[in-house]
Amino acid sequence: MKIKLITLACMLGLAVSTSATAASELEKLRSEVDALNTKAKEWEEWKAPKTLVHLAGYADVGYVDTEAESGSFNVGTFSPIFHYQFSDMVMLEAELEIGIDEGGKSEVGVDYLTIDYFMNDYAALIVGKFLSPLGQFRQNLHPSWINKMASAPVGFGHDQAAPNAEVGIMVKGGFKTGNGTSNYALYVGNGPTLELEAPDEIEMIETPGLNKDGEGKKVVGGRYGLFFPEQQLDIGLSAASGETSIRQGSSGSYTYEPGRSYDALGFDFAWRVVGFDIRGEYIKQEVGDDVTSVAPTGGEWVAWYVQAAYKFNNSNWEAALRLSDYDTPHASQDRNQTAIGVNYVFSSNFIGKLNFEINENPNAGLTASDRTLVQLAYGF
Amino acid sequence: MKKQSHNTVKSIVAAVFLLATTTLLNTGFAAEKPNTEGGDAARGAKSWVDNCMRCHNARDPKELRDDQWITTTYHMRIRAGLTGQETRDIIAFLQMSN
Repeated sequence: MKIKLITLACMLGLAVSTSATAASELEKLRSEVDALNTKAKEWEEWKAPKTLVHLAGYADVGYVDTEAESGSFNVGTFSPIFHYQFSDMVMLEAELEIGIDEGGKSEVGVDYLTIDYFMNDYAALIVGKFLSPLGQFRQNLHPSWINKMASAPVGFGHDQAAPNAEVGIMVKGGFKTGNGTSNYALYVGNGPTLELEAPDEIEMIETPGLNKDGEGKKVVGGRYGLFFPEQQLDIGLSAASGETSIRQGSSGSYTYEPGRSYDALGFDFAWRVVGFDIRGEYIKQEVGDDVTSVAPTGGEWVAWYVQAAYKFNNSNWEAALRLSDYDTPHASQDRNQTAIGVNYVFSSNFIGKLNFEINENPNAGLTASDRTLVQLAYGF
Repeated sequence: MKKQSHNTVKSIVAAVFLLATTTLLNTGFAAEKPNTEGGDAARGAKSWVDNCMRCHNARDPKELRDDQWITTTYHMRIRAGLTGQETRDIIAFLQMSN
C-alpha cells in the first residue's frame, strides 16, 4: 500500500513537472511567433516605400545574312532602363544603349535621361534628353521586344528622316475627350544640326539630342494624338519648327553657321482589328535654303511605313509584313524595303523573329542588299 | 515655296500649343491640388486592356512585384500619355491580380 502511494505521488509530481515544461515551451513558441510577425511586418515595408528603384530594359541578339556578304552572328543592343521614383511626384528615367561594333569594341550611349515631374493628373513636365515625341516609332516602338520586325523601317533609323531625340523641356500628358482620350506632347529643345558633305551639300540632319544649341535658335514642336478604345484606333499628328545650322569641326571645337529654317511634319496611326495589328507612319524633315551657307541648298528627308501583324489564335506564331520607303536629297541614300517576318512569341516579353528584307534603291540601282535576319529579343 | 511651308508648320505648331495650353488651364492647373483619389481595379482592368496593346503585348500581372508595377506604370504614363487616374486604376488592377 505504501509503495502504491509513493508511486502515485511520483507520477503526479512528474505530470505537474511535464505540464510546467510544456507551458514554458508554449510561451517560448508564442514569443518566437510574435517576433517573427514583427519581422515580417518590417519586411513588407518594401511594398510601399516613398522611394522606389526599378531596373527595366531590353536586349536583342541574332544573326544577319546580307546578300553578297558573309552572314554574321551579332549582338544588337543591351538597353537597361533605370527608374527612380519618389511618391507620385517625380521620377528619374534613364535608358542606356550598349552595343558592340564590328571590331568588337563596346559602345555606350545615353538614349534618354529625364526628370519627370508629375504636375497633376493631366500633365507631366519632362526635362533633359528625351526621345523625340514626333510620330510613334522612335518614341514607343523601337525597343526590340516591341518591334514586330528585327529592324527599323527604312528612314526611321538614327539620323534619318524620323527625329531621334531632343534635349530640352517637354510637357506631356492626356485627358478624356468624349468616347476617347487625347494625348499630347509639347516641347522646346536645342533642335538638330546638319552634317556637311563636302564641298557644298547637306549630308544628313543629325538628331541625337544635342547638348548645345549651336546657332542659338530653339525648335518648338509636339504631337497630338487621339485614341478611341472602342475602335482600338490611334491617330496622331506631329509637327516641329525652328532653326538649325551646319556644324563643322570636331568635338570641343565645333563651329556653327547662322540658323536656317527647319520644319518637321508627321502623321501616324495604329488600328487593331479582327486580330490584325495595323500601323503606319509618315514623317518629313525639311531644311530651308541659305544663300550665305557653304551648302546653300536645303532639302527634304521623307519616310513612311505601313505594317500589318497577325497573331494566330491559340498559337504562339505571328506573321508580319512591312513596306517602307525613304527619300532624301541624295539618290544614293534612298531606299525602299519590303520586309516579311515570322515571329514566335515565347512569352509577352520574349520573342524570336525570322525576317527577310528586300532592299531596293530605285535611284542608284542598288543591288545585292537583301537580308535575312534572325533575332531573339527580350524585354524585362 | 519652302518659306510658305515653314510658315504652315509654324501655324500648326502654334495651334497645337494653343490647344494644349487651353486644355491644361481648363483641366490641370485649374485644380487646386492633384487628384488623390485611389485606383479602381475594375476601371484599371479596362484601361489595361485598352492601352497596353496599343504598342506591345499585354504583360501578365504576375511578371512583376507590386512595387515594380508602380514604377513601370508611371513610366507608361509618360510613354502612352495616360492620365493620373488611369495610372492609379491600372496599378490597382495589376496589384490586385498579382
